[in-house]
Amino acid sequence: MAYGRARMDELLTDTGEPRAVAAALMSLIDSIGEDELRDRQKIAELDILTMGITFTIYSEGQNIDRAWPFDIIPRVIAGDEWDRITAGLQQRLWAINRFIDDLYNDQRVIADGVFPADLLEASVNFRPQCRGVRPKLGVWAHISGTDLVRDDDGQMYVLEDNLRVPSGVSYVIENRGVAKRAFAELFERQRIRPVDGYTDELNRLLTSLAPVGVDDPQLAVLTPGIFNSAYFEHSFLAERMGAELVEGADLVVGDDDCVYMKTIDGLERVDVIYRRIDDLFLDPEVFLPDSALGVPGLMRAWKAGNVGLANAPGAGVADDKVVYAWVPDLIRYYLGEEPLIPNVPTYRTMYDDERRFVIDNIGDLVIKPANESGGYGIVIGNRATRHELDAAVAAIEADPRNWVAQPILSLSTVPTLVDGGIRPRHVDLRPFVLTGTTSYVTPGGLTRVALPEGSLVVNSSQGGGSKDTWIIDGQYGTSGRTQSQQQMQGSAG
Amino acid sequence: MATLLARTADRLYWGARYVERAEDTARIVRAYNDLVVDSPSHELLRWEPLAALTGSDLAIRIPESDPSGEVTVLGYLLSDRSNPASIPSSVDAARENLRTTREVMPREAWQAINQLSQYVDATAASAVQRQLRDRFLLRVVEISRRLDGILESTMTRSNEFRMLRLGRLVERADMTTRVLGVAAAGILQRESSDRDDLVHDQVRWMSVLRSVSALQMYQRTVRGPIDGIAVVRFLLSYPAFPRSVQGCLDDMRGVLLGLPTPQDVLAVLDRTESALARSDPDVTAGTELDRAMERVQTAIAELDRAIHDRYVASAR
Repeated sequence: MAYGRARMDELLTDTGEPRAVAAALMSLIDSIGEDELRDRQKIAELDILTMGITFTIYSEGQNIDRAWPFDIIPRVIAGDEWDRITAGLQQRLWAINRFIDDLYNDQRVIADGVFPADLLEASVNFRPQCRGVRPKLGVWAHISGTDLVRDDDGQMYVLEDNLRVPSGVSYVIENRGVAKRAFAELFERQRIRPVDGYTDELNRLLTSLAPVGVDDPQLAVLTPGIFNSAYFEHSFLAERMGAELVEGADLVVGDDDCVYMKTIDGLERVDVIYRRIDDLFLDPEVFLPDSALGVPGLMRAWKAGNVGLANAPGAGVADDKVVYAWVPDLIRYYLGEEPLIPNVPTYRTMYDDERRFVIDNIGDLVIKPANESGGYGIVIGNRATRHELDAAVAAIEADPRNWVAQPILSLSTVPTLVDGGIRPRHVDLRPFVLTGTTSYVTPGGLTRVALPEGSLVVNSSQGGGSKDTWIIDGQYGTSGRTQSQQQMQGSAG
Repeated sequence: MATLLARTADRLYWGARYVERAEDTARIVRAYNDLVVDSPSHELLRWEPLAALTGSDLAIRIPESDPSGEVTVLGYLLSDRSNPASIPSSVDAARENLRTTREVMPREAWQAINQLSQYVDATAASAVQRQLRDRFLLRVVEISRRLDGILESTMTRSNEFRMLRLGRLVERADMTTRVLGVAAAGILQRESSDRDDLVHDQVRWMSVLRSVSALQMYQRTVRGPIDGIAVVRFLLSYPAFPRSVQGCLDDMRGVLLGLPTPQDVLAVLDRTESALARSDPDVTAGTELDRAMERVQTAIAELDRAIHDRYVASAR
C-alpha cells in the first residue's frame, strides 16, 4: 500500500486496517477511488470560495484574504472516547476558572503554597487592574480553545489552554457544511454528532453575563477590524448570534459608565461584549494609552457591572505555557480530583535543575516561549540547526521565566489527500469549551493538519490545513443512547 | 432588530453603490459595443466617449496603433485595476465594503458578491477580446441583478435593507445622468439635416436607451419613431420607468420615509427634484443638455452628502 507507515494513525491500525470507527469512511473512499475523491475535494474547495470562507494572513506588507485550506478526509473519533475527553475538558476549565478568580481575589492558592508567588509577579498576563473584581458567575475564561494532541501511545494530551481570544470555531461549523455535501452518504448512514449548536450555546452564555436586571440584552462582538486574521470568524459569530459586530470606534462609554454604540438613530446601550481584542488594547484609559482598537472607559463600565465582558480581562493569566505546568495540581487543589486528561510533561526552566536538564537535552525537546501564540518562537530540538539551538539556550539563560520545554511528541496522523495520493499527515485538535453556569464542549473541534510531509506545524498562518472532525455514535459509543437506538444503529450499519 | 451601526450603514450604502456602478458600466459598454457593430464600416467610431462617460477620459492616451481606441478604452474600463472606475475596481470596492457587513445580509447575497468577484478576477483580463466581451458584460449585469433579487426576496425590510437600496438608487440616478450628459449631448449638439445623419442619430439614440436598458420600455411607452427630445425626457422624468432619474428619486423618497428622522435628507431630495425639473428638455430646449446634467449631478452629490451627514456622521 502506498500510504506511508505512521506510528499512530487516527483512522488506521498498525497493520493498515481501518479502525472500527473509520470503517465506513475508509470503505467509501476505497469504493469511489482516488479520482472521485479528488473531484469531491475540488467541489469542496469551490464551495469554500463561493461561501467566502476565508482567513487573513499578513505577508509581504499586505493582508491577504485567503480561501480556507480544507482536506476532505475527516478525522473520526468514537463517541465514547469523546465523552471521556469532554469530561476532562470541563474539569480542566472549572479548575482554571476557580484559579483565575482566586488569583484576582483571595490568592488562597498562593497562601496554601500550591502556586509560587514569584511566578505571579513575573507573569506578563496578570492584570493588577483586575484585582478585586468579581465578574458575574465567578467565571473569567468563558470561551477557551484547548489544543489536544495524541502521542504514539494513543493517549490524548492537553498541549495548550487558549484562554484569551481563541479562534477557529467558525471553521468547525463551516467545515461541517462542506463535509456534509462531500460525504452525504456517510451522514445518512452514520450518527455523526452535529456541531451547529455552538452559536446558540455561545448566545446563551453571553446572555447570562448581562448586567443584573437586563432581560433581553444587546450583544456585541468586538473585533479589531477587517485586517485581523480572524475577522471572518468575528463576522460569522455575530451573524449567527444576531449580535452586532462592532469595532472600538463604534462604541463609547457614557458619563453613566454604560457602554453605547453609535447607530444611525443615535446611541444605543450594549449589555454584553464578546471581545476579540487582546487585553492590552481593550481600554486606552487603563492599558496601552495609544490603542486605537479599544474603547476608553470600557474597564470602568465592566467593573461597575454595567457590561459583561467575555473573556474577562485578565483571564489570560492562566494561559501561559509556564502556568500550564501547574494545571494538574490546580485540578487536584480546587476540585479534589485527578486530571482526566494528562498534560504533556513540561520542564520549567525557571527552576535550576529543570533548566539544566533542558539545556543538556535540548536536541530532544521542544522549546516554547511562554507567551507567544500561532506557533511562533518554537524551536524543535531534533530539527533545529546547531546555531538555532545555541540561540535557544542563550534565550533561556537570559530569561528563564519565559520558557518551557517538552518532549518532542509524535503527533498522530490522519490520511490526507495530497499531490501524489493519500498520505499520513500530522494533526492536532482544538475543541472549544464554554464555561458559565454550565459547561459545554463542541462535539469534536477544529482538526488542524500539517500539510508538508513530516511537518508538525499545523497553524494555518504557517501552511497548515484543516479537516472536519466527526464524533460518531452508534456501535462505537454508548453515551446517552437507549438500547433500541443502539440496536437500530447496529442493524443499519 | 432595529439597531444599525452608523459605520455599517455607510458600508452597506457604498457596497451597493459599487455593485450598481459595476453593473451600469457593463450595461453602458454593452450598448456602445452594439452601436459600433451597427455603424457603417466607412465611419470609424471612436471609443473615447465611453471613457468620458465614466469620468476616465483624461487619464488615458490612445496610441496610434489603436486608432479607434477600442483596445485602450476597453482595457481601461474592463480590466485595469489602476483605474478606480473600472469594473474590477468597482467589484473589489463593493466586496471590501460588504465583507464588513456580511453578518447583516442574507448569506446567499454574500455568496453572489463572491461569485461576482471571482468571475471578474478570472475573466476580466480576457474580456477585451471581441468574442468574449459581450458574455463577460452580460454576466456582470446578471450577477448584480441576482444579488438584487436575493435581497428583494429574502431580506427583511430593515434599515440595513434601506441603506442598500439607497446606495443602488443614488448610483443609478447618477449613471443615468452621465449617459445622457455625454452621449446625448454629443448628438444634440451636432444638429444636421443630412438624411444619413438622421438615420444614424436614431441608431445612436437607440444605443443611449439600450445603455440604461430602456429601449423596449421607451418604445412601449412613447410609440412612434425614436426622437431625441422624447428620449431625454423619458430617461429624466418618466417616473414609471425605474431607471429614469425621476423614478430613482421617487424610490429614494419611499426608502427615506422608512428610515429614522429623514427630514434633512428629504429637504435635499426636494432640491434635487427641482434641479431635475429645470433640466427638462422643454425648458432647456434641447441645448446645453450636458450643462443641465452637470446641474443634476451636483444635486445628486449633495444628496449623497446629506445621507452621509445624517446617517453616518451624526452619531459621532
